[in-house]
Amino acid sequence: MFVYEKKLQYPVRIKNPNPALAKFIISQYGGPDGELGASMRYLSQRYAMPYPELKALLTDIGTEELGHLEMVAAVIHQLTRKMSDEEIRKAGFDTYFVDHTAGVYPTAASGFPWTAASMQVKGDVITDLSEDMGAEQKARTTYDNILRLSDDPDVNNVMRYLREREVVHFQRFGEALRLAMEKMDQKNLYAVNPAFDR
Amino acid sequence: MNRNDSGFGSLPSYAPLAAAYVPMQENAADRYEASEALSRGTLFPGLDLPFMNVVNDTLPATPMTEMMAIDFVADELELYLDTHSDDLEAFAMYQTFLALRQEARERYSRACGPVTQQDMLGAERYTWLGNPWPWEYRTGREA
Repeated sequence: MFVYEKKLQYPVRIKNPNPALAKFIISQYGGPDGELGASMRYLSQRYAMPYPELKALLTDIGTEELGHLEMVAAVIHQLTRKMSDEEIRKAGFDTYFVDHTAGVYPTAASGFPWTAASMQVKGDVITDLSEDMGAEQKARTTYDNILRLSDDPDVNNVMRYLREREVVHFQRFGEALRLAMEKMDQKNLYAVNPAFDR
Repeated sequence: MNRNDSGFGSLPSYAPLAAAYVPMQENAADRYEASEALSRGTLFPGLDLPFMNVVNDTLPATPMTEMMAIDFVADELELYLDTHSDDLEAFAMYQTFLALRQEARERYSRACGPVTQQDMLGAERYTWLGNPWPWEYRTGREA
């Protein structure tokens, strides 16, 4: 069960609308390394996890990612408020606008809609946690790239915050992998899959 | 190595091959205070690794950012405790922040409106519809 909190995890207040920025930041909503994929990956992987630390961590980070999804949506929503027809054309936002107006749709910056093909649930402890560490690095790089392209301080505060959360999550997934491996056969970590061979 | 250097952690001295190892964060690592933790995006200076070394300024203090900062410390400690459940000192800090979170939630709800629907317990009318909705651009103290 989930309960909604009517607040963001970190404030989003974008003074200046700028659809040109929204065009690429949307990738962290519905792109291959975005927050929707992150939350679906972790919240789906947890069912196969045999150890309590892993069930807890995937639940808690997956839940936090839903909050980050809402923050990215808030950035897009505020960047695209009160746009004129001319601003839409000049920003190159016309290709998004024609399909979604100023709604927030889960798509990559390239225009490819969100797909579960950008994530995996392998049902194997080492494999899934290794994917999660890779996923945090991919999201971190995406925020690095956004910070290279954006010169709006209100946007960049939010991007820096979200980027730092990826660093913390990487550390926690690494620790979770350590805890899991300690419970496994030290002579052969790959002898069985403890998520399946009980 | 200085054991108190919060940017370092422990690795196994002898361990199986063909496995990835991230150092375990040490117990009693350095911590930021709550409002700086929220601005930085982490409670722990040892994990604070900003791109191009640019960091956020501390947020202006409002009822909303004060509540966010307390919630953030609790959230960050939850992830830490998921992998360090035997760290009693961190758990004591978590207890402190759970109490602060409850106080902050009650204070904010009274002044600015409910954060969860449960916060309407004892309210005179259904106030869930009121502003601010979190994704909208606002500059007031409640936002």
